[in-house]
Amino acid sequence: MNTDQTGDPLFFHVDLDAFYASVEQRDNPTLLGKAVIVGGDRNLRGVVSACSYEARKYGVHSAMPAAEAARLCPEAVFLPVRMERYQEVSEGIMKLLASATPAMHQISIDEAFLDMSGTERLLGPAVDQASRLKRLVRTEYGLTASIGIARSRLLAKMASDYRKPDGLYRVHRDEEERFVASLDLKDLWGLGKKTRIRLAQLGIETVQDLRAQTESHLRGHLGPSTGTYLYKACRGIDPGIFASLSRKHSVSTETTFGHDVTDWDTVETVLLQLCEQVMYRCFRANAFGFTVTTKVRTEDFHTASRQKTLKRRVQSVDELFATARALLAAGWDGTPVRLIGVGVVSDTTRVNRDQPDLFGSADDSDTKKRAVEETVWRLRERLGVAVHKARALRDAQNDGENT
Amino acid sequence: MKFTCERDVIVREISVAQEIISSRNVLSILSNVLLLVDDNTLTIRATDLKVSFETQIPVEVQEAGSTTVFCDKLLGILRSLPSGDIEFETSQSETFVIRPLFRKIDFQLKSISSDKFPEIQHAGDDQFFEFSQSQLIEMISQTVFAVSDDETRYFMNGVYFENIDGDMVMVATDGRRLSYIRSDSDGELPDFPGIIVPPKILSMIRKLASGEGNIRIAVSEKTVFFHFDNQKLSSSLIEGQFPNYQRVIPDEQKYSFHVDRSELSEALRRVSLLVEKSRRIYLKLSEGSIVISSEQSEVGVAREELECSYEGPETLMALNFVYLTEPLKVMQGDQIELQFTEPTKAMTLYSVPKTSYFHIVMPMQLD
Repeated sequence: MNTDQTGDPLFFHVDLDAFYASVEQRDNPTLLGKAVIVGGDRNLRGVVSACSYEARKYGVHSAMPAAEAARLCPEAVFLPVRMERYQEVSEGIMKLLASATPAMHQISIDEAFLDMSGTERLLGPAVDQASRLKRLVRTEYGLTASIGIARSRLLAKMASDYRKPDGLYRVHRDEEERFVASLDLKDLWGLGKKTRIRLAQLGIETVQDLRAQTESHLRGHLGPSTGTYLYKACRGIDPGIFASLSRKHSVSTETTFGHDVTDWDTVETVLLQLCEQVMYRCFRANAFGFTVTTKVRTEDFHTASRQKTLKRRVQSVDELFATARALLAAGWDGTPVRLIGVGVVSDTTRVNRDQPDLFGSADDSDTKKRAVEETVWRLRERLGVAVHKARALRDAQNDGENT
Repeated sequence: MKFTCERDVIVREISVAQEIISSRNVLSILSNVLLLVDDNTLTIRATDLKVSFETQIPVEVQEAGSTTVFCDKLLGILRSLPSGDIEFETSQSETFVIRPLFRKIDFQLKSISSDKFPEIQHAGDDQFFEFSQSQLIEMISQTVFAVSDDETRYFMNGVYFENIDGDMVMVATDGRRLSYIRSDSDGELPDFPGIIVPPKILSMIRKLASGEGNIRIAVSEKTVFFHFDNQKLSSSLIEGQFPNYQRVIPDEQKYSFHVDRSELSEALRRVSLLVEKSRRIYLKLSEGSIVISSEQSEVGVAREELECSYEGPETLMALNFVYLTEPLKVMQGDQIELQFTEPTKAMTLYSVPKTSYFHIVMPMQLD
């Protein structure tokens, strides 16, 4: 395969398949082949964090109330969320991915973009490189990953979904339009249920239908952001959704709900999990910031980002969660939500921005001491997390009983 | 326990005790002050488990004994009372009675037995060495403001004390600026290992010490002790390795110039009015002149020019203005000397004539 050594950009989107549930199945092989639901509890008013493909067959999806999942899939095994464990596995895999390219951008605990531009001549065909990564993830971590390869992040992301699970798909330059056209409208990334309904009302049922529309027509009927997004996306043009990744110096994560979410408890529960992920990564990366960012994408694909800069650096999940929750609560009017994200912008330590250190970064003893200190924090944080999580769930329950 | 004491005498010591007690803590025995009377002496003790304070004042003792009471309330009561003798007494039911003589005032505070009070560390008499109070106060003043409050760099959260060739050297840094002072002890200081002392006790010493005579200092593995003027303060030390500060002290700088200290302070104070959160100011040096300006912002811009003795190429540098104003507050002399080599390397501040201290500031990046 010697095609496409063209100097085009080249992106991999790596997505770990049913990550939490797969880690559970790997750690406990008796769960293999069973419907595994992580998060929530039959009797509790929790929310499904993740589920195995076996459970998905029954219609279970993440962010679904646990009670509903239990009804849909009575034989499901419910397991508590073991965030530390997932984080640990994720870290190892992300490190492995980072060894493939310096331009690795982790999107969430189980998802990353690799900018592989210019590597084909050096390392061989992209598909071979991706196969090697998949093999490494499988042999070293016992998990499967789906990888999509394309010239843009948007296409790579849709390509990783294309043959999931354990998929590998490359969208070649000359196949881009055909690839997008072959997708169901629902698989066009970023297209929510509500928008699909509205498109159906306009007589638009397929990607080809969509492509027949003018941009101004779409903007007029769906609003400017959705309209332009769809006009570009259906042509395989990446509107630059993830382009800011490479510039931002931040630790962030986001999650797309399996269905548009309207109840605040679910948003909060999921937000807490995202905050834990971000904070662990901050501790790990030694990256702390004063600024908390949140992102909400509603069903109409309108994305609102908010941020708040604190007096001190964000140092605990508790702090991050409280700030992020307040930001989300302030900006939410009840519109169904399809995606939420949270992040900490690091190193814009306002006062010390652009302020070099006297001792430089080479002071090993400093670095080591700091690492030790942060390990202690991490342990402390773990305890803290457990407590808060329990509280959050209990509060949610009480609310439920009161209504 | 029963004793009588003049209100003005005891209120001063109890307010020191209250400063030691960390009021942010939940109520516990640590919120209490320990009172112990014996041999016509009242011993007052307070601790937050890190910093401990003990003082003794002469009182008239009717009955020896000890107790602990909620310090915050005791202080409030004492402050509200008029000057004059006050009788203090513990009753059987864990109650502490405060009764000004010749008045119809009667306060009864709940007390906790003194055996619940944490032990306070002591150092043996032979471990102490003497050091000039006035010199220590000056050394604290020149350094304590530079301590880092970044908890992730906890080993910079205190002032480093070190014996170098028999002189006391104190250094503080937050990683971006550094303050250094060396005592003039004629090389007679006894040997002790380098220690990192938290700023709380140092600020207390600066406030409480009379500045006359000597202070007695002892260093144990985890604690430092300071005894002076009937008062005993001790603090747990910060464990960890203080950074190798020697290597960031510039050996020799290429340019050096003098500027009037109070003019510079005043100019910084004015320009800083328009400085934003970044705290960034610009210094533009040219022959005989220094221009201090703020960044152009939505609010506006400030600029002030001062005379100085600079001779060299036109140079622009950016600095956190606080890193200049803080040392300028404690430096002496009409003039200060600024030294630098290039705008990206550390700048040094001296008094003129050079004394036992200097301050180092790392510039910010330009643009």
